[in-house]
Parts: sequence; structure tokens; C-alpha cells
Amino acid sequence: MATPTHRPIAVFRMHPAILWGTVFAALLLQAFLPVKLPLARLFDFPLLIAIYFALVKRDPIFAIGLGAGMGLAQDALSNGFIGVFGMAKALTAYLAATASFKFELDEVLARLGLTALLVPVHGLFLLVLQRGLLEAPPPFQPLDLLSGALVNVGLGLVLFQLLDRFRRPA
Amino acid sequence: MFDLNSSELRASERPPERETPERVQAFVLHHRAFFVLLAVLVAQLLLLSVQITRNQKVRLIQVWAVAVFDPFARALRGSYDATTGAWGSYRDLWRAQQQNRELNLQLTAARSQILQLSQQAAEAQRLRELLEFKNQLPFPAIAAEVIASSPGESSKAVFIDKGADAGLTPDLAVMTSAGVVGKTLAVFPHTAQILLITDTSSGVACTLEKSRVQGILKGGNLNACQIHYVMNEAPVSLGETVLTSGLDQIYPKGLPVGFVAEIAEGNIYKTIKVRPAAALDRLETVLVVVKPPSSELQAQNAPSHP
Repeated sequence: MATPTHRPIAVFRMHPAILWGTVFAALLLQAFLPVKLPLARLFDFPLLIAIYFALVKRDPIFAIGLGAGMGLAQDALSNGFIGVFGMAKALTAYLAATASFKFELDEVLARLGLTALLVPVHGLFLLVLQRGLLEAPPPFQPLDLLSGALVNVGLGLVLFQLLDRFRRPA
Repeated sequence: MFDLNSSELRASERPPERETPERVQAFVLHHRAFFVLLAVLVAQLLLLSVQITRNQKVRLIQVWAVAVFDPFARALRGSYDATTGAWGSYRDLWRAQQQNRELNLQLTAARSQILQLSQQAAEAQRLRELLEFKNQLPFPAIAAEVIASSPGESSKAVFIDKGADAGLTPDLAVMTSAGVVGKTLAVFPHTAQILLITDTSSGVACTLEKSRVQGILKGGNLNACQIHYVMNEAPVSLGETVLTSGLDQIYPKGLPVGFVAEIAEGNIYKTIKVRPAAALDRLETVLVVVKPPSSELQAQNAPSHP
């Protein structure tokens, strides 16, 4: 999986309508799917979308903007404080974009491995943020974190394959 | 020398180093994404701090702002308090110094006033005693102030502020409430010279109160007097009061002159030293006994010589 950084880097692009449609759909699903499907509360569509586009476009600034924007939208739709998900997703997307420069992540397994790493990082960052800022932070539940990572890796396996169909080399 | 040249050559071959602002710019550009991430995180952190509240609904940004500014505010307040305190202390000190100076002046003035008042009180007391004494005297008397003393060492005399214009004449008895002082020696229009009983040229006819022994009191040295012509056999005791006998026609009879201070036997006569009753060394106000008519004097003296 690991390759030297001075190799030619493959960068992909996607039609803006697909990109923003995907983002919108992810936010919509994140907001309304748990109402119908309780297990969906473990899903984090915006995070997976942010990771995917960070890996595909390999532009950290774009990744930060996308992650922060999606996170803020998620915050706005939730009942929490605006900025919590925005910070966590901006950081995760930045890490994903940075990692895309260092490693060859076109393979599905590599991207899933990175997703399996970044989802707990996202969760831990959220936890640190909540513990540091909130007066009554939620309790640390490692099983929830682990199960969330597993569920989202599984979701990513499907989602990334689906989105790969729409990408074009830049 | 060779090494120096080679090192200079090597230095000249070295590529020129980039300027510091350029290096900073290059660093920022290279880590642009990281700085963008940092800015996004900080912006959202601020956004969060505006929303999150702590105890009693205080926003987190307020908590942070207070946490950041409080030490500076405290330091500023402390500096301000220290400065104003120091200035206030200095001003108070200066005021205290001024006040101390004024109070010292007031104290000096008050002390001077007290001294003046005490002198006036003493003078009033003295005059009251003199007036009472004057009223007790069976003879008319004129009060006078001592204005000068005799400049000679050997002569013991003082000047008073009353003279011929007050009706004074020579050979009038002068006294205080304590006792006989002397007699008028020379009378001028507005002043008079008083010869004290301690002067060697003075003579007072006297008698001892208990033993009724008579003698002549003359002046001596060191502000003391001596009674002459008292026989060795005469019973004289120490501390006995010496009174005027009136035989000299100058001093009315019965006025206190002094007290026997020392007695010594002589060949024929005793040597009796007398301490004057009046404080002759600090005379201020005296009474001049206006000489009564000689008939009165004779009438007064008559009982003492039955």
C-alpha cells in the first residue's frame, strides 16, 4: 500500500452536480434515516463522503472546506452546538487528503483501511472536543466507537464503489 | 594565508541565502493547507464558544475572554491601585508634613501664649496678694513696678516706676506682701531709687518676735543681712522672725523683715545673720508705704516702749 511520494499522483474530478448532490443526499440521509432505521444512528454519511472526496481530489484545502461545511450542516440539523462536527470533519478530511499524498489509496481495501482508522479518529476528536468544551459531556463508550467504525467501514465499502462510477481522471 | 583564501573562495561560491520574509512566505505556502485547517478550527471553536454556556448561562467565549483578560485586568488594577496608593500615601505624607509644620507653629504659639498667660496669672496673683496686703496695712501705700536694678556690684538698689509725681518722698518704707524690701533713697519726678535692706549702707531698726530683743539690721554680703548690737546673753533662736521696731521713724512697726538664719557668739555682741523675708533677687511689684504723720507713728510706737 505504501509507496514513495514522488510517484505520479492520480487525481480525479467529478461533476459538480454529482458532488453537491451526493453531499446533499448524505446530509439528508444522516438526518432522516435514523428515524426509520434505529441502526442508522451509527452511520456517518457526511464523514464517509468527506473522506471519499478528500481521497479522490487530493486537495487538502478542498477537503477542509468540504469537511467543515458538511460538519456545520450536520450541526445545524442536529440539536447540538454548531461547530462540533464541523471541526471534527474538517480535521478528518484534512488527514484523509494528506494521507492520499503519502499512500496509494486507489485500491478499495486501502481506502477501507484508512476509513477504519479515520472513523475512530473522528469519534475520538469529537469526544475530546465535547469533554473539553461541554459542561456535561457524554460518557466514553469504546464499544459504540468500535461498532461505529465497523458499521461505517461496511457502509464505505458499498458507498465508495458506488461513487467510483462517477469519477473521471482530471 | 592559503587556507584563508580558500575559505573566502568557498564562501563566495556559496549560493545567496534567501531573505527571512521570503523564507516565511515559502513556509506558509508549503503548509498552506495546515494553516487553513488551523483557521477553520479556530473559527469554529470561536463559534462554539459563543454557543456553549457554563455556570449560570455564561457563554464559553465570555469564560475564555474573562480567563484571558482577567489576569491583565487584575494586573492593571493592581498597578493602578499601587500607583494611586503610592500617590495617595505620598500626598498624605506631604499633607502630614505640612500639618505637622503648622501644628508645630501652633504649638509654639500656644506654648508662648501659655507662658504669657501663666506669667499674667502669676502677676495677677502677685498683685492680688499685694492688694490684699495693701488693704490690711494701716497705712496708705502706693503700688509700683520695679523697672531697673542698680548697676553697681557693691550697691544693692532698684528703681521703681513711681516718683515725686505719685507723692513719693525719700525715706519711705518699701515692702512686698512677704516683708520689708528697703526704703526710698532718691526720688525723681517719675521714678525712685530704692535702697534694699541688704545694702551695706542700709539700716533697719528691728526687734525679734519672740525674745523682743532689739537691734539694728544692716546689709551684708551675698544677699543677707546681719543684726548688730545684740548682747551675747540675749535669748535668740534660729528661725525666729525679725520685725521692724519702728524706732528708725522710717519703717512702720511690726512689718516682717526676715528670719534668723545663723547665730554666733562674739566678744560682747552676738553675730546674727538674717535671711530676708522678701525675695529681693526677683522683685517685680512693691508697695511704698506713704509716711504717716509723725503723731501717728509716735502713737504706733508708743505701745512698744511701755
